[in-house]
Amino acid sequence: MDWECCWSTDEITPEGCPYIGEGEEDLYASHRRRIVEKCVECPRFKNDLARMKGAGYPLSDVLPFILTEFQEQKAQMGAMLSFLNSKTREIKFLREVGLVLQTSLDLDEVLSIAMTAITAGKGFGMNRAFLLMTDKERRNIRGYLGVGPKDYEEAWRTWEDIGRSNFTLKELAKNFQKTKLNSEKVKFHDILNQLSVPLADQGHIFNRALHGKKPILVENALNNPDLDGGLARILGVDCFLVMPLISRNRRIGVIIADNCITHKPITLQDMQSLETFAFPVAFALERASLYERLQEEVDKQKAANAKLREQQELIVKMEKMALVGKITSSIAHSIRNPLMVIGGFARTLLRGTPENDEKRSYLESIVRETRQLEDVLSEVLDYSESLFPVMDLWDINELVTTSLAELAGTLEQAGIACQLQLAQELPMVCVDYKQISYCVKTCISTGLAAMAKGGELRVESVLEGDAVLLRISDSGKALSKKAQEALTAPFYQTQEMGAGVGLSLCKIILERQGDSLTILSRPGGGNTYSIRLSTRKENI
Amino acid sequence: MAKLLVVDDEANLRLLYAQELSDEGYEVVTAASAFEAVEKLEAAPFDLVVLDIKLKNESGIELLQRIVKERHTLPVILCTAFSCYKDDFSAWLADGYVVKSSDMGELKDEIRRVLTKKQKAALAAG
Repeated sequence: MDWECCWSTDEITPEGCPYIGEGEEDLYASHRRRIVEKCVECPRFKNDLARMKGAGYPLSDVLPFILTEFQEQKAQMGAMLSFLNSKTREIKFLREVGLVLQTSLDLDEVLSIAMTAITAGKGFGMNRAFLLMTDKERRNIRGYLGVGPKDYEEAWRTWEDIGRSNFTLKELAKNFQKTKLNSEKVKFHDILNQLSVPLADQGHIFNRALHGKKPILVENALNNPDLDGGLARILGVDCFLVMPLISRNRRIGVIIADNCITHKPITLQDMQSLETFAFPVAFALERASLYERLQEEVDKQKAANAKLREQQELIVKMEKMALVGKITSSIAHSIRNPLMVIGGFARTLLRGTPENDEKRSYLESIVRETRQLEDVLSEVLDYSESLFPVMDLWDINELVTTSLAELAGTLEQAGIACQLQLAQELPMVCVDYKQISYCVKTCISTGLAAMAKGGELRVESVLEGDAVLLRISDSGKALSKKAQEALTAPFYQTQEMGAGVGLSLCKIILERQGDSLTILSRPGGGNTYSIRLSTRKENI
Repeated sequence: MAKLLVVDDEANLRLLYAQELSDEGYEVVTAASAFEAVEKLEAAPFDLVVLDIKLKNESGIELLQRIVKERHTLPVILCTAFSCYKDDFSAWLADGYVVKSSDMGELKDEIRRVLTKKQKAALAAG
């Protein structure tokens, strides 16, 4: 019988089978493979089978069963192969991503690879993803980064660009970090701002996912009475996946992924794959964040060390200068007094010596030479004194803290509680440290004296316009008008103020530096001493 | 005649001060130490004190603080070999500051200035 199909021929020519395509030429000579791969599905073969049945071939009734079973087995094998291929791709992809995640300490790099992996077709192929991270204080979970297209137009444009390029996932992530990371942060700013949730809100889906350590797939969110539709409305989709990021039991954050453009359903397999991926991402994010924080601390430490070194050098310099000062002062005392005696008495004698007395020229020589020696001495002393740095830029909060520490024992002894409220990031102020420290301590001591029966001392620093304001408040007896006047009239009766001449001197000190001191007494009790230090001074 | 108390631990300088300031028409009393100065201040009234900062084993500044606290109307002029004290805020309590010099013109001028200021303040106070 002449068969339509080539199944009975050992070797065929290209005309023998129209179903053998390009790249399958080896099937012309391979009889067995040709039957298994082509003939069993060929319509000509089916015709031949029908003809066999008609001709009464004995096996023609059995062959269709065998054929059907074979085709089913083949389909199953195909499905399994496809599944294995997809898993192989996934493992390869996870390995590629994992390598970067394991080695990178750069938070931006980790973010780029993680978010690219979730949204790229070569990765998990989700349309859009949001990363939310817990804040440093571990109080809130906040929107940090969103990646994906905002609309259809952008989506097709982006996917077309990616489709044309032949970048690996790693290259895509690198490209994303370089060109898009910053703009993506801004692009979803509105959505990210609305995604902040307190970690204490146990009922919220983010916290439920974190608590359960399992992803939550939300479907039909807008019509599901069990769910708060708020999140779906913010995201603009009713199907999304909430993936918790947990590393060593620490809640790192949450990833929200959706298919806002294609609306393709999120499958169980998508969810499982993302879950496998979430662990290395969480770990890498935690490590990179910790590294970033560590780096910040190291930088702070370096700056502090540099400052310390500078100050040590300054101290050494000052010690040297102090030694010079001591020596010169000692010389001054030893020389100036005898010079004054010599020159002074010479002048006295000169005044009583007649104009025509020849001894007069001797006395004049003594006076002149003494004067010259005194001038040289003054020059040397002026130079040595000029070497002392007095006015310098100081951190006023540090000055206050140090001054308070010096009085800690006195405060404790008096049973006075001290509340310290120092404004952060105050500018440095050009002052004489020793003098301002004296003023602060005098105000505190005056406050203590007003609280003989105990009370509360409050020390605050604030920035007010172009001045740093130090407010020292006591809860003691209010100062009388007379006592307050003592400030504006130095050396007036100051007994009531309990610090002797202290406050008067503070006023002189502060005014000489271009600063001021004011006292405010509250009728019900308590006084506030305000030291105003201008930040505009460069050097005095 | 204004009465001055000069406090200096150098005997020759006390002699010089006494000579020069007496010639200017002041009644001059001298003291060699802070203790002696306090005794003399308690014994009689003075119009002005000329005070050395560095006294033997004593600080003129402490004496200055005591005078300001106990006799706040009594002016004090610091007369010292240490010009650096001019910048030390503890010396700012004094009414005048003069660096020791064989030419006592500056000290005499300062005494006149401070006494005139004191007289004016007394007149203003009635």
